[in-house]
Amino acid sequence: MTSPTPAVQAAADIAAWMNALGLDVHQFAARTAALWPDRPSPLTIASSDIARLESLAKEFLESHTFVVGAGVIFSTEAIKSSEGGLEWWIRRQDSVEKLEFDLTPGGERFYDYQNMPFFAAANRTGEQTAWGPYVDYLGLDEYILTHSAPILLNGKFAGVAGCDIRIRKLEEIFMPALRAIPGDAALLNGSGRVVVGNSGAYLVGERIRSTPKDKVLIPIEVPHLGFSLLSSR
Amino acid sequence: MASNTAFQAQVYRSLPETERSEAIVNRISKAIALGLLKVGERLPPETALSEMFGVAPSTLREALADLRDQGIVTTRRGRHGGTFIVKQPFTSADVLEKWFRETSIAEIRDVGDEHAAIAAATVRLACERAEPHEVSRLLELATALVMSDKPELRARADSRFHIELAVLAQSPRLMNAEIRLQAETVQALWAPVPLTRDPERVASEHLALARAIANDAPEEAQRLVLAHIRHDIHHLVDAKLSLGYPTSQQERP
Repeated sequence: MTSPTPAVQAAADIAAWMNALGLDVHQFAARTAALWPDRPSPLTIASSDIARLESLAKEFLESHTFVVGAGVIFSTEAIKSSEGGLEWWIRRQDSVEKLEFDLTPGGERFYDYQNMPFFAAANRTGEQTAWGPYVDYLGLDEYILTHSAPILLNGKFAGVAGCDIRIRKLEEIFMPALRAIPGDAALLNGSGRVVVGNSGAYLVGERIRSTPKDKVLIPIEVPHLGFSLLSSR
Repeated sequence: MASNTAFQAQVYRSLPETERSEAIVNRISKAIALGLLKVGERLPPETALSEMFGVAPSTLREALADLRDQGIVTTRRGRHGGTFIVKQPFTSADVLEKWFRETSIAEIRDVGDEHAAIAAATVRLACERAEPHEVSRLLELATALVMSDKPELRARADSRFHIELAVLAQSPRLMNAEIRLQAETVQALWAPVPLTRDPERVASEHLALARAIANDAPEEAQRLVLAHIRHDIHHLVDAKLSLGYPTSQQERP
């Protein structure tokens, strides 16, 4: 048996890493759903519920040092109150802090999360999503990627659980695998945008609209994300 | 071109920072590195300086003492006394390597994006507003960096050319933005790291750009300046990667 090419090996390594993260995010969503085993829907979210969510989010942040934010977002149909839809915690220097969002439609910094792609796509498909790189203007105000998985209550979509990773951190995580590939190579997201490149040729955030003639796309085998690896033929 | 006084108004403007003494040291060091203040030049008197920076005299004295300790300025007493600039500061190789290690590719690209936005508007305005005699000065500055083999002098000549573009654009705000962007990256561009920038190539790009402005060709000038900045950014990324990519084992895929 021949050993895989460096690019195929890198694609496999990246897929394994992302699948492991995806599994953890799914588990985060499942544990969130398990907080409300037989309560009537739509849910009323009490402050004791938020405290339990906080400890789940904190646990996720503690066990994933590369993650900068974690939390849950409920769909407006799933909850009764107008409050409590968006429960997200972020890592600061040496503490964890809750992110405050403006949830008033028409407000100057209104965070229209129902239309955020990582929420809308999970709602539409019922599957995990990875959205980014994007500038999270109303949340962290950072350049991040958000990985989310749907929360199902009684088999119905009720929201998402997810986590944020800074792009600069993803660069550190994926670069060793990418640097092992000879020539210019880049990890692309589902819409063909560069997440990390192994040289100045492909810079994060740029869109690769068509595959250059001397390049080939290797799929990153992670269900529903559509990531791929661009590398030399 | 703008008089030196106009540059100096940029250097000595009021400070936003709380850590003011450090900010003064930074601003004066960067101004010298960018060639806005020159070796041999005398700084304004202490009372004037503390007024311009908007700090207490003791804060200013702290900053000057720091600059003296670094050997950047010296203070002479007597009738012809004052504080003089005696050394061209250049960030140490260690500090520059640290910059490369700690600055992500995403951040380098983003500096380039901002620089591209500023420079595209700057060169279009420069085409529109520059007078012929100003353009000949720009042509001289374009190739000045090949005259020197020292990284600090090349960095200064490089940034001086870019700042001059904003001067020709007649815009203090664009000049201010250009100074800030130059201060952020120019030393890294000429840093003595394994992969170095080719001065001949940079000079020829500068020259082509200066000629486009001389010929009043805004489209061409914009295209050239954007390509030039892109080359700078690719160089910074490749220089960063040439220094290796250390990472913690546990997070590796």
